[in-house]
Amino acid sequence: MARQAIGLIETRGLVPLVEATDVALKAANVSVVGTRATGTGLISVVLTGDVAAIRAATEAGGAAAARVGELVSVEVLTRPHDELEKIMPAG
Amino acid sequence: MARQAIGFIETIGANPSIQAADAMCKAAGVTLVGTVDIGSGYVTTIIEGDVGSVKAAVDAGAEAANAAGELVAAHVIPQPHEELVPAMLG
Repeated sequence: MARQAIGLIETRGLVPLVEATDVALKAANVSVVGTRATGTGLISVVLTGDVAAIRAATEAGGAAAARVGELVSVEVLTRPHDELEKIMPAG
Repeated sequence: MARQAIGFIETIGANPSIQAADAMCKAAGVTLVGTVDIGSGYVTTIIEGDVGSVKAAVDAGAEAANAAGELVAAHVIPQPHEELVPAMLG
């Protein structure tokens, strides 16, 4: 199975992140690995899927978050290293 | 059964969030899903119900939160993706 790409969306506040995740899940065939609140009001979601789906989902999700609240960061890793598995948030 | 809409009130501080939760439950026939703390005082209260009730409840909740403290966000997702609630709210 081709290795999965990962997409990261980070917002300030939970509401923009939930909106972003809802839009991302509807935008393409991606799934949620987990979320991580870093304690300063920032919270991030990790999505996984094939490269095209992750690009589409993170773009749509990021735009949705910005409409609802504060979008802090959007990142796509097309070929994440296997070691990253160790630091992925629990599902 | 039509999929439930979900509503959110996000505040700075627990007190306004509890006032908002109380107002939401009294305003319309919604159920309280729970609350999520993500640090720095950001507290989000989540409710569930049919779209009309959730919208009315979130409006009431926003008002109560504003009266009691700082409202950060008031939001409704009419048709959440089925993976959303399990993935986000555990």
